[in-house]
Amino acid sequence: MDLDIIPNGLAAGSLYALIAVGFNILYRPTNVFNFAQGDLVMLGAMIGASAMAAGAPWVIALAAAAVFVGLIALLENAVAVAPVVRRSSVSHAWIISTLAYSLIIDNLVGHAWGPDPIRVDPPAPLSTTTFTVAGMRTSSYQIALIVGTALMILLIERFYRTRSGKAVMAVAEDRDAALLRGIDPGRLSRWSFFLGGGFAAVAGLLASPVLYASTQLGPALLIKGFEAAAIGGVGNNRGALVAGWILGLAEALGGSLLSPGYQQASTFVLLLVILLIQPRGLFGQPEARNV
Amino acid sequence: MSDRTIPRGGAARVLDNPWLGRTAILVLAVAIYVFPLIAHSDYRLYLGTQVGIYLLVAMGLNLLSGYTGQPSLCHGALLAIGAYVTAIATVDHGWSFWPAALVGMAITAGAGALIALPAFRVSAWYFALITLAFAEVVGGMLIEWGGLTHSFSGVVGIPMPSAFGQSFNAAQLFWLVATIDIACFIMMANMMRGRFGRGFIALRDNEIAARASGISLVRLKMFAFVVSAAVTGLAGAFYAVQKTVITPDDFTADVSIFFLVVVVLGGSGRLWGAALGTVAFFVVPELLTSLQAWRLLIYGVVLLALMLFAPHGLAGAIASAWRSLRVALGASPRPPPPLATAPGAPTVQKVRGMAVSIAGLLKRFGGVTALDRVSLKVEAGSVHAIVGPNGSGKTTLLNMICGFFRPDEGSIRLDDVEVVGRSTAGIARLGVGRTFQTPKLLPELTATENAMLGAFAAERASTIEVALWAPRARREHAALAAQAEHFLGFVGLGERVHEQAGELPHGQQRLAEIARALIGRPRLLLLDEPAAGLSLTELDKLGALIRSIADLGVTVVIVEHHLELVADICRHVTVLDRGTVLAEGTPDAVFADPAVIAAYMGARPLAEAAS
Repeated sequence: MDLDIIPNGLAAGSLYALIAVGFNILYRPTNVFNFAQGDLVMLGAMIGASAMAAGAPWVIALAAAAVFVGLIALLENAVAVAPVVRRSSVSHAWIISTLAYSLIIDNLVGHAWGPDPIRVDPPAPLSTTTFTVAGMRTSSYQIALIVGTALMILLIERFYRTRSGKAVMAVAEDRDAALLRGIDPGRLSRWSFFLGGGFAAVAGLLASPVLYASTQLGPALLIKGFEAAAIGGVGNNRGALVAGWILGLAEALGGSLLSPGYQQASTFVLLLVILLIQPRGLFGQPEARNV
Repeated sequence: MSDRTIPRGGAARVLDNPWLGRTAILVLAVAIYVFPLIAHSDYRLYLGTQVGIYLLVAMGLNLLSGYTGQPSLCHGALLAIGAYVTAIATVDHGWSFWPAALVGMAITAGAGALIALPAFRVSAWYFALITLAFAEVVGGMLIEWGGLTHSFSGVVGIPMPSAFGQSFNAAQLFWLVATIDIACFIMMANMMRGRFGRGFIALRDNEIAARASGISLVRLKMFAFVVSAAVTGLAGAFYAVQKTVITPDDFTADVSIFFLVVVVLGGSGRLWGAALGTVAFFVVPELLTSLQAWRLLIYGVVLLALMLFAPHGLAGAIASAWRSLRVALGASPRPPPPLATAPGAPTVQKVRGMAVSIAGLLKRFGGVTALDRVSLKVEAGSVHAIVGPNGSGKTTLLNMICGFFRPDEGSIRLDDVEVVGRSTAGIARLGVGRTFQTPKLLPELTATENAMLGAFAAERASTIEVALWAPRARREHAALAAQAEHFLGFVGLGERVHEQAGELPHGQQRLAEIARALIGRPRLLLLDEPAAGLSLTELDKLGALIRSIADLGVTVVIVEHHLELVADICRHVTVLDRGTVLAEGTPDAVFADPAVIAAYMGARPLAEAAS
């Protein structure tokens, strides 16, 4: 068996984990799972790539993409989420309204950037040039991606233990009770969408040296991010990291043992099996029932 | 009747006449069958057949996403499975169309069952994403399994179905598809007015109400998935023969989204929704051609606008316009429902009450001990109150009796049956009825339909009998409607039986819940704070109602804060405080107990009064 699947799988898995974390940032305070998240990631990659093509340094491109996509997500909250959640907080109408928003982004981005993938260089001194270590072919960017993702997720988890982090959890638990304690759920939702969108853009730009920036990315990343979030337990970021790595490895393994066409099938089967055994994912909390 | 009232009354009489609707449907059916004779163009006939095929998919999707509330993003992929199986069997293996279509239907239904497996225990949005992932996998496999599917070049030369040695022509194919559409529509309509319709809507709007009414979520959800997938698979078979060539490009992710837009546009969860949505799409064919590049944007904007401004789609808009028209013509907004046909009021027979015996019940939520080894006996046929301050574990206790929570330790015996570990639906079927602190009714259904939901487990007509509205299904439906009206009258809602449950005031919603529980003929009735927010007169009526329920022999366990009501109707009271039994006995003895007074009033005022 080819040992390359280990760095390749972990690097892809790190990206899936990042997308899943974007979902979680949004899901925790709002209980909305954003169907447009894949397209926000894709949009972030496109904006970052264009900014760098225009000569902006990597950091500036990253910041520009994060702010712009954050604003697009804020708009999503205003037109596609807040109105339907206000009408009935228990209905699932937001599934279709966020899906609708994703179709709009997808189509507009397709027209603005065209179908050709854009090559994006990693920030210096990192590079995608491969070298061999312990029998595995990898690159400095792959290693940075794997390590950087793990660090970023640990940092985010620390935030949830602070006072603001606990406010986020309180709103997720009981919106009305949080309101009585002086936490404004509407404001928190807006912030979550802005941050969740910004995080999606970061994930997109980090992904683009590996996957290329392309308008085709949206739906595929939505599915992979969901699979990582669901397997790791929705809302659990460390779970998402482990699940992302498992998925990345399973995908690489399925692709190398059978054929690349089986990548999606192997992760889908993994998802079905895990959800059958553990409906809340590997590291999910049992949800309190509302009787 | 005076001359002046005749025109208005006359309008109402015409509008209320059930033959008006029947005539309209008959005219529609005749128009559909005559269409191939007057189409005068192969293209129009082709489009007509295509409408029929898409309608079949839309009806299948409406069942799953509209009625049952499980949004599917893989109906394009299910269509592909049905189409490919039929195409491969007829072209590569020389099968005749009919067995090929049946096998295609069966395999598609199997795929529906597969994706349904994890959906039983997760939310609707999980399901939507699982279907999206499934569609991606199917799309990949159509190319990957090239030996079977011919990969990108697709299956070519799919033959028309044939019968008696004659191959169908375009008009005959249209008639065949139209007939299947009409049959499917009628069966769907029958299912929806029977117990399945109520059950599906309960799955969508309130799973807790469904489980408390004895509905097995697993079986009903699986049923919805499999039927929806089978109908879509059948549509796939016709799709293949109509197109004669199918390639993976026919079944992209956009196709699944297209069908979702069709259903939401027409009216998701409305009987006519699928038909209205499909026809609307073909009335504006420009959308499909000249604006091709902006199709996704248009889908997105249409979906978003509908979700925001018209969540019930065209069917909802037409229904409300029709109601306004009726009012303008002097009729009531809705036609008066047909009178229940079962002769006389059903006789309500006495039941043998169920005894409850709870021993050492322990339940922890994280670090909080909600119930700390509670033991309790309720005599068969008695009215037993559980009182206590907020957070003392009363509702948790009810939730464990009816199986919503599983205790960490201890036993609950109903008569001699241990119920710990049984499902909520299973416990309900033993004869346990339940009402909730916040009423859990289905707001879009009438009070009568809500009450009928409570008899879900008691209905005997089979799926086929319901789908064909066979005599037994019809009789059962009529008898049940009469029973529902009777029980609604029994709880004091006789005047409001045909109102939508969501429009009833809160107090009356509680009463409707009691009627829903009673129609299941419970031997044990669990009432969770039925008196909260009632006026004094309503309170008296509730007391009388509970007494007459007890007179039927039913054991009643009531969680209540209103101590006068408790003292009035109960022989036994158990007081819970912070998860333990503080006192039990007759109301007089218990309410005089200083420990109870202290727990209820707070210790300090009592201590001050004593000093």
